[in-house]
Amino acid sequence: MKWAKRYVLYFRYLAYSPLLLLSGCSDTHFWLFNPKGLIADTELHYMIIDVTLMAIVIVPTTFLLIWVVWRYREKRRSAFAPEWSHSNVIEVVVWGIPLLIVGVLSYYSWRGIQAVNPYNPHALNSHGASTARSHKPLTVDVITTDWQWLFVYPNKHIAVANELVVPTGTKLHLKLTSTSVVNSFYIPQIVGQIYAMPGMRTKQSFEVDHPGRYHGFSAAFSGPGFSWMDFKVKAVPPAKFTAWIKKAGTSKNTLNYASFSRFAEPTVNIERKIHYFSDVKTGLFAKVIKAVRSQRLHYVTPMAMTENMHAKIFRTHSN
Amino acid sequence: MPVHLQGPWNELFGRLGLLLIPHYNNPVIFFAFMLVTVGGTAVLTTLTILGRWGWLWRDWLTTVDHKKIGIMYVLIGLIMLFRGFFDALMIRSQQALAVGPNSPGVLGALHGYLPPFHLDQVWTAHGMIMILLAVTPILIGMMNLIVPLQIGARDMAYPYLNALGLWLTAVSAALVMIALFVGDFSHAGWVGLAPLTELAYSPGVGVDYWLWSIQIGSIGTTLGSINIIATIIKMRAPGMKWFRLPIFTWTSMATSIIGLTSFPVLGVALSLLTFDRYLGTHFFTAGLGGDLMMYTNLFWIWGHPEVYFVVLPAFGFLSEIIPTFSRKPLFGYTTMVLASFSIAGVSWLVWLHHFFTMGASPKVLAFYSITTMLVGIPTGVKVFNWVFTMYRGRIRMEAPMLWAVTSVFLLIIGGMTGMMLSIPAINYIVHNSVFVVAHFHNMFMVITYAAFGAIVFWWPKVFGFKLDERLGRMFFWLFSTGTALVFLPMYTLGLMGMTRRLDYISHPSWWPLLLIELCGIGFYLVSVFVFLGMIYVSYRDRASNAVTADDAWGTSRSLEWLTHTPVPFYNFAVTPIVHALDEVAWRREQGTLDRQPERYTDIHMPNNTGMPIIISGFTLICGFSMVWRIYLLALVSFIAIIALVLIRSFTKHPGYVITAEEIGELERTSRPHRQTEEIENPVSMGTGGGSMPNHGAPAARHPDY
Repeated sequence: MKWAKRYVLYFRYLAYSPLLLLSGCSDTHFWLFNPKGLIADTELHYMIIDVTLMAIVIVPTTFLLIWVVWRYREKRRSAFAPEWSHSNVIEVVVWGIPLLIVGVLSYYSWRGIQAVNPYNPHALNSHGASTARSHKPLTVDVITTDWQWLFVYPNKHIAVANELVVPTGTKLHLKLTSTSVVNSFYIPQIVGQIYAMPGMRTKQSFEVDHPGRYHGFSAAFSGPGFSWMDFKVKAVPPAKFTAWIKKAGTSKNTLNYASFSRFAEPTVNIERKIHYFSDVKTGLFAKVIKAVRSQRLHYVTPMAMTENMHAKIFRTHSN
Repeated sequence: MPVHLQGPWNELFGRLGLLLIPHYNNPVIFFAFMLVTVGGTAVLTTLTILGRWGWLWRDWLTTVDHKKIGIMYVLIGLIMLFRGFFDALMIRSQQALAVGPNSPGVLGALHGYLPPFHLDQVWTAHGMIMILLAVTPILIGMMNLIVPLQIGARDMAYPYLNALGLWLTAVSAALVMIALFVGDFSHAGWVGLAPLTELAYSPGVGVDYWLWSIQIGSIGTTLGSINIIATIIKMRAPGMKWFRLPIFTWTSMATSIIGLTSFPVLGVALSLLTFDRYLGTHFFTAGLGGDLMMYTNLFWIWGHPEVYFVVLPAFGFLSEIIPTFSRKPLFGYTTMVLASFSIAGVSWLVWLHHFFTMGASPKVLAFYSITTMLVGIPTGVKVFNWVFTMYRGRIRMEAPMLWAVTSVFLLIIGGMTGMMLSIPAINYIVHNSVFVVAHFHNMFMVITYAAFGAIVFWWPKVFGFKLDERLGRMFFWLFSTGTALVFLPMYTLGLMGMTRRLDYISHPSWWPLLLIELCGIGFYLVSVFVFLGMIYVSYRDRASNAVTADDAWGTSRSLEWLTHTPVPFYNFAVTPIVHALDEVAWRREQGTLDRQPERYTDIHMPNNTGMPIIISGFTLICGFSMVWRIYLLALVSFIAIIALVLIRSFTKHPGYVITAEEIGELERTSRPHRQTEEIENPVSMGTGGGSMPNHGAPAARHPDY
């Protein structure tokens, strides 16, 4: 019944289409309204539920306010009740309706949390039963530095900086950490954000439905290189992905802890360069966390580094 | 020296050697420097030419009068609002210029005209200034002005402490302004994103400026909160029962309770960060056992209550303005009090919604999601109460009401988006986006609109003349156009996926909306000049704008409108006896509004004192020298502060007495209109009485501190 499911999906958009028209969001630039992955899709679903439920209160209230201000202008000489300031019925209504709406929203909030929970998303699990059963989840370790992204595919022994390549229709399990300050891993059209924090490990899971190129970036400010700290996301069919893995494995750059430490030095990635690494050592992710916790992996940002982007000191720290 | 610092340091001058790093020749900073220097010199020269230094010291700098302190608070707030606006102008223009890989860059920037190092400081300063040095002082100033009058008090419970709070806030503002020219400001966000604030990632003096400025200012705010609470509890006029307190006094009370309980948490968080930066501890670094999320928790345990700290007084303004201009009592008074305290109560339980994306368990997220949504209930109730206050009223759309009604509209939109953000499933996609920025600016606009309404509303009470209505309306419409043009595109950009705090915009599809925002900023800029013009014109025409009745609007309701307009320095000639919830409205109905007291009694007044401003001066030196790590000077000034506080504590300060005869004389000369004026027609022109208020006691009554 795959077609029926899709039909229902489209119907849902149709029903809420006036909301989208409100801000002219038919444009593909509205990433949040053009989800290409199950998690982002579910997130949009909950946004629509929330907006609709809120509209039940907000829209009448707005019209009530407009009507009252229009109706009771002094010059209109409408009914005047100079003493009237209390009504038990109104009290019950004005406390009751918001309470009711918050109650309903709380229920959907809880459902939404479960559905897109980065550690164990309900949406992905139920979906996986039908489409992605044959695929084992793909594991990716994400390490953020100041100011680059490193995506390690631990089982494939390759890594790539500033580009994430994923097979479509496959569950992805991410582990994330940072070497320096907090970053937030975010691909608007595919999955909501999760922090990558120094010395800590967070998780994220998602799946991409449609092949294509997407934008990923850090949503949490991390210092002067922040605006240049984005990464390309390429979603390719599984067969192409296997080919890509092979190709990446031929890179001459290898990645062990020592070469990682060099990679992790403060660098503003102005040219948006992509680096491939082969022969990645097992356990790099765990080792980075351990090193950050014990302050063995610790970089001090040079004070004058970003004051003048044309200055020599800046050029030595960009690529 | 306890920690390893980049750059020079010596015992005598600390890190002042850092000033030799060459980026200080930046024309942008130079322009700001010229603006402040020329403005400052103009003010100082004018004072000298007019020979007003003595007047300034006696009547303003050493005053303990709550009204003057309130005026100075609002003045600081307005000046810093202008500074914060300038920062916003720079952020918007930079973002509109720095779009796409081919956008040009000047002044050392790759794109636009501000390199990240500079822009990051600008938006950090913008956030901190707007919240802590613009909105907060304006609201505390209004509380200072209005609360004692609303409860029939002679002054605040602790006039000296009140002055100290003001001057510590001024020190906080001064430190931020100094950071413009001497060194740098923090680039780690007004929230102080840990561990970006740690020495390794922010090696300059910027974070230290931010740290000490907030720390000192928040001590001032805490003192202010204590004072408001004590005043409301102990200084109420006879008959002013709890449930006769005007709503603004209630919200001030709720606000001050929030302030008193949450600011100390901020103090602790900042102190721990100070230890990290100065002593090399590791409370918030990942290395050696620290936890950055601990800082984030502590900060927002203060930070979110602070949001309600500023929004509640704004709700109070609306609850005073709307009944007055609807000619009706406030609908659901008891509910309103309950709603205010519900909001205050829930404010302590919501902070984690600022970091739903840190990977907490679903149960934790659900708790904070639901508590956050709970805030919407009493807020919604307030909106309904204001609507039903206007229902079957006689609404006059004068400037204060225009601001108030728009404020309610903005609150509806802000509430809607707030409810969206409180759902974690949605928060995951809009957290840290400009959608969030648009939401909280939307909420701050609620406060701003309410505050402008309040300024226009109570202006005649304080100065004795109304603000020019025509220019006031022009200001309102220009400002509102700016608001629409800036924040609607910002919401839209958020839904397109734009992140906050960007120096460089890599997606050209955002450009048109960024340009619209820039246009909005243009409208704001024009509105600033209209605002200044409004003040100037109203002052110039103060004779014809003069208010001759005590009740400037003719339909005011609460106690502050009972005493003279403008208010004499002793507030009430005789402490009023309160009979009803809306005392002035009640007396108007009884026909006793103009009844003169039969006899006067002696009034005891506190002496002026220069101690607060002197202590604050040493605090400024102490803060500045701690920023630059001139430890010796910091120690000396700290000892001086302690010594002065001790000296003051052991000084007997008996105050002075205005005798009953003097009061009678002052009353007779200052309200000649009192017997003749009709209540229904308070604004009749040309009956005289338009002189500037005599706020100060005679100079002879001010033996020094």
